Amino acid sequence: MEQAQNLSPLHFDHKLGLFGDHENKENLLKISEIKDLSIIQIAKFKKSSIEIEKVTINQLNLPTESLKVSHNQETRVLWTGPDTWLIISKKIDLKDEIYKSIRDEDFAITDISQSRAVLQISGVNAKNVLKKGSPINFNENMFKPNNCANTTYNGINILIDYLDDQPFCFNLYALRSFGGSFYHSITDSSLEYGYEGI
Amino acid sequence: MLEIKCPYCGKRSQNEFSYGGDATIKRPQLGEEISTEDWDNFVYYRDNPRGKHSELWHHVSGCRQWFKVSRDTATHEIFDTCKMNEDFNV
Repeated sequence: MEQAQNLSPLHFDHKLGLFGDHENKENLLKISEIKDLSIIQIAKFKKSSIEIEKVTINQLNLPTESLKVSHNQETRVLWTGPDTWLIISKKIDLKDEIYKSIRDEDFAITDISQSRAVLQISGVNAKNVLKKGSPINFNENMFKPNNCANTTYNGINILIDYLDDQPFCFNLYALRSFGGSFYHSITDSSLEYGYEGI
Repeated sequence: MLEIKCPYCGKRSQNEFSYGGDATIKRPQLGEEISTEDWDNFVYYRDNPRGKHSELWHHVSGCRQWFKVSRDTATHEIFDTCKMNEDFNV
């Protein structure tokens, strides 16, 4: 009997290669699926009296303002709502580290690693692709590198993590079950610029 | 398209929000004797004012918080928004 495999959320959707209007163009958009991330949601209980400013996870503070992300080479801590954060890392033992840093009497700690489809889009036109479907204001320098925002893309709830602007690079998180639909929404929007699936 | 200022996230497009009804409706106290008419009024009957109106909105695609909005139902002008435990300034 064939052994069961762990399939990534975009296993049947993400295609490698060149697509759209890519001929004779340099600096094409690059779209990839980010796999094997540990994604842990923590939410402070209302009854908890812990001071957020004193909490550190993997030497990172929990941001207390909207859009803010605290980060180091391995881990990113994203503000997703009042007293709610997403901690995202390539580290497999992230959950253990979190349990060492905070108590489950103070925070609801939920592993949602398997419930998100994660896309990375990078290139000079990455922001233009996002502007096509998301109502976030990408102008006026309000949404900057190392910011994040929960928003929508063509009606699909997503989380945008703005990684870099040299060139533009974003990680996009959608619910796993919306992953395929979201992937095709992003790739359709990318066709006019041409993109490379990597 | 409205631009609504979430008290937690700042100004965002109406696409990210969901309307939640009249913010002035109070649920009858638990354990009190309530007449059928009062329950009817609480559950079903709403005013439909033209002009300034206090509303509940949910930032459903953002921080997922409920908050209050003071809005003109005729012009859609938004006068103020505030957290559930706060009062409007305007």
